Amino acid sequence: MKTYEYKKSHDLFEKAADIIPAGIYGHMSPAPLIPVSDYPFYIERAEGSHFWDVDGNEFIDYMCAYGPMVLGYNNPVIDAAADEQRKKVNCGTAPGEVMVELAQELVDTVAIADWAFFGKNGADMTLYSIMVARAKTGREKIIRLKGGYHGTAPWAQSPDHHGITFSDVKDVVMGEWNNYEALEKYVMEHKGEVAGIISTPYHHPTFEDNEMPADGYWQKVENLCKNEGIVLIVDDVRTGFRLHMGGSNEYFGFKPDLIAFCKALGNGYPISALVGTNEMMNAAAGVFHTGSYWFSAEPMAAAIATLREMKRTNSVDKMLKIGTMLNEGLEQLAKDHGYNLKITGHPSMSYYRLTDDPTLMLHQKWCGEATKRGAYFTSHHNWFVSAAHTEEDVKKTLEIADEAFKALKEK
Amino acid sequence: MSVEQIKAGINLYAILKNLEDLVEYDSEVRGLIKGKKISIQFTVKGGPKAGVIFENGSCRVVKGKIKSPSVILWFSSPSHLNKMFDGNANPIPLKGFTKLGFLQNEFTKITEKLEYYLKPDEVSDPDEAYVEMNTRLTLTVAAFALPEIAMYDAEAKITASHIPDGTIQLEVLPDGPAVHLVVKDGKLEAFKGKAERPDAVMAMKDFVSANDFLNGRSNPFKAIASGEVMIKGIIPMLDNLSLILDKVQEYAE
Repeated sequence: MKTYEYKKSHDLFEKAADIIPAGIYGHMSPAPLIPVSDYPFYIERAEGSHFWDVDGNEFIDYMCAYGPMVLGYNNPVIDAAADEQRKKVNCGTAPGEVMVELAQELVDTVAIADWAFFGKNGADMTLYSIMVARAKTGREKIIRLKGGYHGTAPWAQSPDHHGITFSDVKDVVMGEWNNYEALEKYVMEHKGEVAGIISTPYHHPTFEDNEMPADGYWQKVENLCKNEGIVLIVDDVRTGFRLHMGGSNEYFGFKPDLIAFCKALGNGYPISALVGTNEMMNAAAGVFHTGSYWFSAEPMAAAIATLREMKRTNSVDKMLKIGTMLNEGLEQLAKDHGYNLKITGHPSMSYYRLTDDPTLMLHQKWCGEATKRGAYFTSHHNWFVSAAHTEEDVKKTLEIADEAFKALKEK
Repeated sequence: MSVEQIKAGINLYAILKNLEDLVEYDSEVRGLIKGKKISIQFTVKGGPKAGVIFENGSCRVVKGKIKSPSVILWFSSPSHLNKMFDGNANPIPLKGFTKLGFLQNEFTKITEKLEYYLKPDEVSDPDEAYVEMNTRLTLTVAAFALPEIAMYDAEAKITASHIPDGTIQLEVLPDGPAVHLVVKDGKLEAFKGKAERPDAVMAMKDFVSANDFLNGRSNPFKAIASGEVMIKGIIPMLDNLSLILDKVQEYAE
């Protein structure tokens, strides 16, 4: 099987690193793509579940733009809705009618939602959610969980990171996933001080196995919040609409007060949303939070189309099916080659790890070998499948993965 | 913990540590200690302690108190020690007055050589041998400064607590120097040489790449993306370590 080369990608990066801080910053940085020589850095075009890099190499995409792509790149239904709206107005002096329509769509789709508020990125909404929690309760402390990611606003980072100060996180308290007892202990020892608890619906850190909630965990957290007047916030930015159309909390059987969505909401068009219950609405209305492009109509039209298309095509079930097929195939292949591939998280966005080498070096090699043969696998982050991935994609992926396992033995 | 305290730890445990390699790789320095058997205890009141032992043509630098030192150099405070390292103060000899000649002559020449190798910006056209030596010493300084910073700097303490337990290796390829750090419960311990089974590795392609990288002359993102610096393994170990590494320069200056 031919392996790819990335001369143009790497030349571009060389230039970029001179004129853009870090060359490619943030979550798309090449740094965790190991070995970097096995990965493309720049993309030329994309279609359905595939993308082509600037060197012309084709990939079956298992990162889906790190989550936003849920119905396939260049989905004609979504693009048509966006085009139609853009021709009328996109960024205007007032919001478009489409804003109300999208809010209604979310209220009708997400179980706990009585209202919806829009921004651009997940971090816009997680920040807004803690502001709403503080406004609602008049309290200062926010509990977030170790390994949980809620964007890059200072409150959501560690004070030892560049540009972050201790005062930025003065009122942010770190809890631990699935450790209800510690959470309850802290809350009871700080009665009347905690404004909100924010968490992803299941634990999906990078470089670590993902972890589902323990039996009864969320129900106990929900009760604790209700009893102590704490706002329960679900960060559904990565998981939203991949586990359940009504919000991932429905999948796990609990009711938060606020849910932040982004990624899958617009199938690649820039939009995020915070939804909440009636009880939270006055507090939400009192918080001033906005941005230059937050009222752009085109992404709102795309989001409406995405929500409707996801419901019409039953995309959650589709992703579950294709993800399960992929996982079963990869697990078996690994076994056939004498390895153990541990798969954690939901099948539509699983995290993979070859447990035969706890240092991840073997796993990194395998992902790199697969990527340079056309199946874009990362070793540090959960993957994503979309409703555009086909059984044919999975079949081809398994062939590539097989070759990648063979390549491990050759080295 | 004060900045002076951290600097004193770095001076004694990281900068002075380089005497070992200096003796091993520099023939002039080796000549200076030929036939000498002398041990020097550095003691800082309320601060770090280290011993330098010249024996059998080699040098060892050890943490803490050494047994029966030939010379004891006493410093009234971490700041006093740091001033001496900057050339602005003298130690107080408590023992070994007969060895003062060695301190004033050979040892001074050795430390001058150390300073020369650690200040590449002051060398106009460094040759290959200089680059190799500077790389070797800079790598040692970085590795042995890290535990001090991780132990006492408020931000670095948090960073260190985020490093998963295990072993991190920094090395210069193909056969250059290596150091490794063992991390346990947020505490770091530095060692020279390769680890038996590192959990995370940062490998620099050659001496030139390593020299540019360690001296902050290369763009680290470019270096990683181009393969000049290769990383693998448990990357959060390296991510967090690099946050502490960023502080080495500010303390070691």
